[in-house]
Amino acid sequence: MSQVAAPVLPARYQVVERQEETHDTVTLCLRPVDQPIPAYQPGQFTMLYAPGIGEVPISISGTGPDLGLAQTVRAVGAVTRALCACTPGRVIGVRGPYGTGWDVAAAAGDDLLIVAGGIGLAPLRGALLAALGHRQRYRRVVALVGARSPEELVFARELDGWRDDGAEVAVTVDQAVAGWTGHVGVVTQLLGRAEIESARTTALICGPEVMMRLTARELRVLGVPTARIRVSLERNMRCGVAECGHCQLGPLLLCRDGPVVSYEAAMPLLAIREL
Amino acid sequence: MSGVTPADLADHAFLLGMADGHLAVLARDCWVVPVPKGHRLFAEGDTARRFWLIRSGRVALDVHAPGDRQLIVETLGQGDLLGLSWLVPPYQWQFSATAVADAMTFEFNADAVRTACESDAGLGYQLLQRVMSAASSRLQATRIRMLDLYAASSTVRGEP
Amino acid sequence: MADEHYGEMGAVDKAGGPGSVRLMEAAALDRLFASLHEAGYRVIGPTARDGAIVLDELAAASDLPFGWGVRLEPGGYRLRRRDDTAAFGHSAGPGSWKQFLHPPREKLWSARLADGGFEIEQAGDDAGREAGPPRLAFFGVRPCDLRAIQIQDQVLGTGRGNSRYAARRSAVLIVAVNCTEPGATCFCTSMGTGPAAGPGYDLALTELVSGERHAFLVDVGTEAGASVLAGVPQTPAGAATIDRARSAVAEASQHMGRSMPAAGLRELMAGSHDADRWDEVASRCLTCGNCTLACPTCFCTTVEDVTDLSGDHAERWQHWASCFDLDFSYLHGGPVRASANSRYRQWLTHKLGTWHDQFGSSGCVGCGRCIVWCPVGIDITEEVAALQAEAQGKQAHDAETPGGAP
Repeated sequence: MSQVAAPVLPARYQVVERQEETHDTVTLCLRPVDQPIPAYQPGQFTMLYAPGIGEVPISISGTGPDLGLAQTVRAVGAVTRALCACTPGRVIGVRGPYGTGWDVAAAAGDDLLIVAGGIGLAPLRGALLAALGHRQRYRRVVALVGARSPEELVFARELDGWRDDGAEVAVTVDQAVAGWTGHVGVVTQLLGRAEIESARTTALICGPEVMMRLTARELRVLGVPTARIRVSLERNMRCGVAECGHCQLGPLLLCRDGPVVSYEAAMPLLAIREL
Repeated sequence: MSGVTPADLADHAFLLGMADGHLAVLARDCWVVPVPKGHRLFAEGDTARRFWLIRSGRVALDVHAPGDRQLIVETLGQGDLLGLSWLVPPYQWQFSATAVADAMTFEFNADAVRTACESDAGLGYQLLQRVMSAASSRLQATRIRMLDLYAASSTVRGEP
Repeated sequence: MADEHYGEMGAVDKAGGPGSVRLMEAAALDRLFASLHEAGYRVIGPTARDGAIVLDELAAASDLPFGWGVRLEPGGYRLRRRDDTAAFGHSAGPGSWKQFLHPPREKLWSARLADGGFEIEQAGDDAGREAGPPRLAFFGVRPCDLRAIQIQDQVLGTGRGNSRYAARRSAVLIVAVNCTEPGATCFCTSMGTGPAAGPGYDLALTELVSGERHAFLVDVGTEAGASVLAGVPQTPAGAATIDRARSAVAEASQHMGRSMPAAGLRELMAGSHDADRWDEVASRCLTCGNCTLACPTCFCTTVEDVTDLSGDHAERWQHWASCFDLDFSYLHGGPVRASANSRYRQWLTHKLGTWHDQFGSSGCVGCGRCIVWCPVGIDITEEVAALQAEAQGKQAHDAETPGGAP
């Protein structure tokens, strides 16, 4: 059965590693059993299939060895709970990669600013790693990360590595716990202290929609043009191939014209209630 | 003499755009004060006799809870005003403030500044505008934090 | 121009190739059906049943709804007896050709669940696997519906996912029927989709009924159409007959009961998100989704993963969905579009507006089905007129009060 010729069929991928990020979030490292899916760009997503249960769209959070994929899943329903419970050896289904990417390379020569809220760091991790992999192409690489609390910070063990590779990483939490000496506050409160130069900044934002809107607003106040702000949008997705109609946001089909969208295009759409 | 000049103050983000004359008044009762990590600047319940502008480092506002725990409500850093209660009767600190990283500050005499504002309404208005802006930002940020946006949303129906 | 072979009236005649115009008696329809069957097609066409003209497999020409017409109004559809024997004197039936090209329920694949994983056993459903999709002759495709098929071709037939649609589509032969009598709810003229069929048919019929005469002008569109027509009694069409047929169709375009604005629908929809009109229509709309079922271009689907009781066997099924379902826009604990206002707005602004951005054309063909089959009789031509009036009123108001001055 040729998986590639019939792209709606899930390709088989085996879990080779399972990393618990927080109490409800897991990163699965996957390796193809048969044909791999095509190469992915940071920002794209796949439809992950929990056999017998269902499919959900999950952003790719990185690549692994042997044409592998890293996908970070938060358990919020039946399918994601099943995916989070997968142990090494288990085979799940993968369709994709779908959608638009962050286009990190287009920010070459600029300061790259990454602003992540909660699980939103997962789709941005690939962009950050891509930039750090070609560090000399960018001026500053700044990552501002907001999390609910220190225990709900994803990829916590990687942050120092990112700093070693040339990123300025600042973390803030909404709620502190005893012993936390880092920032406490919303992620937009880190923007002022980051001392960004708006004329040469490209910003990538991912997180809850409210957080993205407020962050983009702060960036615009600081003078970053909307054309150089990119957000990752989300709507109900079923097919991933622009044929089921579910993921519409006005004129956009987010599985095809997104999820990464320039804020210039996204801003008027996000302003319309119940679009 | 404090050794702080209006020019020193003019650089601080909180006082951006303030007239030299007003900066001079503020500079009169102002000192450069380094605050080492772990030092408590004020405690909940104390009278608010001073306030600070943070130049670098990080200060946490916290409350004391049973079990000898300090719960941090917010951290402030470079460019921030530390202290609001010195402007509002009964001039009593509602939270404690502790440096969680070595900090450098401008420290002000709250009584002296309030007195100066009484006689110079222009200074008072300039100061209050900036205080209001800081308080407004923090209120907005706090409201957003209360929305708990990063929590998993309640799933009445869950996923398919 | 292909050679035309002249023969006596009624004799079996070799048809001309694409571009030729022929004349066929109604009595020859049986032979046309036979010719289609011989070529391996199952004939799908209109038939009168259960109080409506429905699309179904036809065994013979006699299954066509000769002498049946319809009375159409917003929220109303009734069969009526015509005073002639026309087979195609009706429109806006409850079904459209999409049920055959884009089935309401379809198995996407089945898999065996075992060994901590899964293995796809079969892509597609049993019937389609070996023999390929069935060869269907769509008999009696109105020009609006032909456009609708082409619109769905653009949505479903060109993308990465749906090779099934493309396979089904390639096995279809289209016998279109030009319209000489618009239904009361039709507005194809203003949507540019009729009453004459555009390119894309294999054969196009124009029905000519007067007194005892009952004949069909036949425009041959393709080789496949010519080949099917070849064994059917026919003659070349004379100039007068052709003129009569073309005039009848042209006349029909003058008698549409409704119309849409000629241009600017996309911009009107894009600018109408805050219109008061949505609240007005929402107070009437039941969000029942009938319009999306009846509409020949609505294509939205959802997928469902099911297992059997043993848990060893899984299937993925696709079935029709409607943007009026609350589930449709479910995200993070609730629907994005919860109010009836937002769901009706989504349907109409997509159909007439953002469809252009997504697929390069309008999604509406002016068939009028949504008007007929809406239980409360919401008429999209009326809604568009009201939105246009509101937009013009707002423009006038804004012009009078520049810069927000009272």
